[in-house]
Amino acid sequence: MSDLASTSAGAAAPTKRPTGEILFALVFVSVGVAGLATAGSIPIPPSETGIGPRAFPYIVCGLLVLCGAGVVLQVLRGKVGQAEDSEDLDVTAKTDWVALAKLVGFVVLHIFLIEPAGWPVAAAVLFSGAAWSLDAKPLWKAIGVSVILALVLQYVFGGLLGVSLPPGPLLEGVPFFHG
Amino acid sequence: MLLLEGFSTALQPVYLLYALGGVFVGTAVGVLPGIGPAMTVALLMPITYALDPAAALIVFAGIYYGGMYGGSTTSILLNTPGESSSIVTALEGNKMAKAGRGAAALATAAIGSFIAGTIATVLLTFLAPVVADFAVGLGPVDYVALMVVAFLTVGALLGASVLRGLASLALGLFIGLIGIDDSTAQQRFTFDNPTLVDGVDMVLVAVGLFALGEALYVASKLRHGPVELIPVSKGKNAWLSKEDWKRSWKPWLRGTFIGFPIGTVPAGGADVSTFLSYAAERKLAKGANKAQFGKGAIEGVAGPEAANNAAAAGVLVPLLTLGIPTTATAAMMLTAFQRYQIQPGPLLFENQGALVWTLIASLYVGNLMLLVLNLPLVGLWVKILQIPRPYLYAGILVFAALGAFSVNFSPSDVGILLVVGILGYFMRRYGYPVAPMVVAMILGPMFEVQLRRSLQLSQNDPTALFSSPFALVVYVSMALIFAASWWLRRRQATLEAAPAKEEVSV
Repeated sequence: MSDLASTSAGAAAPTKRPTGEILFALVFVSVGVAGLATAGSIPIPPSETGIGPRAFPYIVCGLLVLCGAGVVLQVLRGKVGQAEDSEDLDVTAKTDWVALAKLVGFVVLHIFLIEPAGWPVAAAVLFSGAAWSLDAKPLWKAIGVSVILALVLQYVFGGLLGVSLPPGPLLEGVPFFHG
Repeated sequence: MLLLEGFSTALQPVYLLYALGGVFVGTAVGVLPGIGPAMTVALLMPITYALDPAAALIVFAGIYYGGMYGGSTTSILLNTPGESSSIVTALEGNKMAKAGRGAAALATAAIGSFIAGTIATVLLTFLAPVVADFAVGLGPVDYVALMVVAFLTVGALLGASVLRGLASLALGLFIGLIGIDDSTAQQRFTFDNPTLVDGVDMVLVAVGLFALGEALYVASKLRHGPVELIPVSKGKNAWLSKEDWKRSWKPWLRGTFIGFPIGTVPAGGADVSTFLSYAAERKLAKGANKAQFGKGAIEGVAGPEAANNAAAAGVLVPLLTLGIPTTATAAMMLTAFQRYQIQPGPLLFENQGALVWTLIASLYVGNLMLLVLNLPLVGLWVKILQIPRPYLYAGILVFAALGAFSVNFSPSDVGILLVVGILGYFMRRYGYPVAPMVVAMILGPMFEVQLRRSLQLSQNDPTALFSSPFALVVYVSMALIFAASWWLRRRQATLEAAPAKEEVSV
C-alpha cells in the first residue's frame, strides 16, 4: 500500500498534475475492492441468526470504494486536497524526497538493530541518522546528543519505569539499565 | 462523598507527585511545535505502562490538561500558525506578543484555562453520574444512533473536505475490522497472518498517524534557519493590569459555558468551541476594545482558551459515561483506559467507582498544578520551543519507535508503525484528516456489536433502528447540527478572510 503511494507521489512532484493525489485516492478504492472480494470468504457459523460477520465488512468496504472514487472525481474536476498546515512547515518549499527516504531508511535500520544490538544502540542510530537527514550541524554534536538521549531513555524506561527494553550486548552487564 | 474518596486517593503524596509529573511532561510535550494534545497522549502512553491503574489515570489526567494548555503557549510565542484547537488563540495572542504583551497573553490563557477547567470539572462531577444513570437504560438501538452521530460529526463535519473525511473514517473502520470478530470469533481480513489475528493495535495506528506521519510530513518541507520566537517581555507592565482583569473575566466565563456543552455533545470538541467563543467575544466587544480585534485583543485570547479547556472536560462526559470518544484525543484516552481493563460506559461508575472518582479528583488537582507550574515556567517553555528542529523531529521519531516497540516488545510492530506513518504522511499531503481514522478504528468494533445486537433483537428488521424515541431524538438533533454547521462554516469562512486581509495590509 505504502509502496504504491510513494512511487505515485514521486511521479507527481515535478509536474503540477495531481497524479499522486489520484493514485492515493485509488489506494482507498483498491483496499475497498480487495475487502469486498475477500469478505465473502469469512465463515458464518451455522448458529448465526443476525446479519452475521460479513455484513459490516461489506458496508465498510463499499464506503471505501465510494469515497475513494468520489475523491478521484473531485480531483479530476480540479478540486484538489488542501495540504495540512503545521508550525515548522515551509509551505512554499518543494518536497524533500531525499530527506524522507533517509528518514524511512533509518527507521528500517532501527527495526533491524533492536534485537541484535539492543535498544539503546538502535535508538542512538535512529536519532543521529534522523538528525543528519534533517541537516543537523555539527554532526558530532548530534551523535553525542543521541548517545546521551538513548542512555537516559534506557535508564528511565528500562530501569525506573520497568518497561523491558533490551539493553543489548554492550550494556548487558549494567544492572540499572534493566528493570 | 464519592468524590471525597477520590480526593483522598489523589491527594496521597505519591499520587500528587504523579499528577505533577503528568502535568509537567504533558505541558512540555504539548509545547513542542507540531504536537497536538492527541499526539501528546499517544507519545506519552509508554511512561504509564508500568504504573498501577490509579497512578496511570492520574498521570493521564495531567497529560490531558497539560497537553491542551501547552499548545496555546506555542501559538502565542511562535511566529507561525499552530494546531487547530489553539489556532484561534494565535489570532490575537500572537499579535499581543508582538506588541510586547506576551506575558499578559500567557497569563490570561493560563488563568482562563484554570477557571474554565475547574468550573467544567465541577459540571462534569455533577453531570456524569446523572448521564451514567440515564445511559444504563439505553438499548443497542440508542447506541447505534449515538455512534452514527459521532462518526458523521468527526468524519464529515470537521474537516475541510467531506469526502476525504469519510474516506479516512472508512479506512479506520476497515483497520478496526482486522482480527477476530467479537460476536462470532471468526477471523476477518487476517490473511492467515498470525500477527494480524489480534488485530492492529490502536497505539501503533495512533502514534504512526500522529507522531511519525507528522514528523515525516514536516521533514519533507522543513522550515530551515533559526526559529522565530517572539520574546516575552519582563517587568511590571507585562503582567495583567487591572484593566486586563476587567476585560478577561467575562470572556473566561463565557468561554467556559460555550466550551463545556459543545464538548459534551459529539459536535467537534475543542475546535468548534474556540471558534464560537472568539466570534462571540468579537461581537460583544465595544468601542476601543472592538477595534483591537485582529491587533491583539485580550478578550480574543481569554475566551477561546477558556472554551478550549472547558470543552476538554466536556468531552470526558460522553467518554466516561457512554464509552464514546468524540475527538481524537478522547480516543487516545479510551485506548489508555482499555490497557488497564477499564471499560468506560454506563456501568463504569458502578463497577469501578473508586477509579473514576480518583480520575475526576485528579482533574481538579491537575488543573491547579497547571496554573502553579505554567506561569513561573514560561522561561522553560520558551527554551523548549527553541530546540533545533532536526533534534526535535529526530526525538519524535525515537519516542514514536519506543512507544510502538513497548506495546508488545516486538520489532515488527515498529514496522507496522512505519507503514502507518507513511500512510499518515500521504494523508496530510493530500488533505485527509487523520482524526476520523483514529476515532473510527476504536468506535467501529463497538458500533458493529451494537448494530448486530439491535438487528438480532428485531429479527433483522432495519426499521427497528428508528424505533426508540431516544434514537429518533438523536437523529433529529444530528440533522439540526448539520444545518447549524453549514451556517457556521459560511460564517467562519468570512471571519477567516477578514484577519487574513489585515495581515496583508500590515
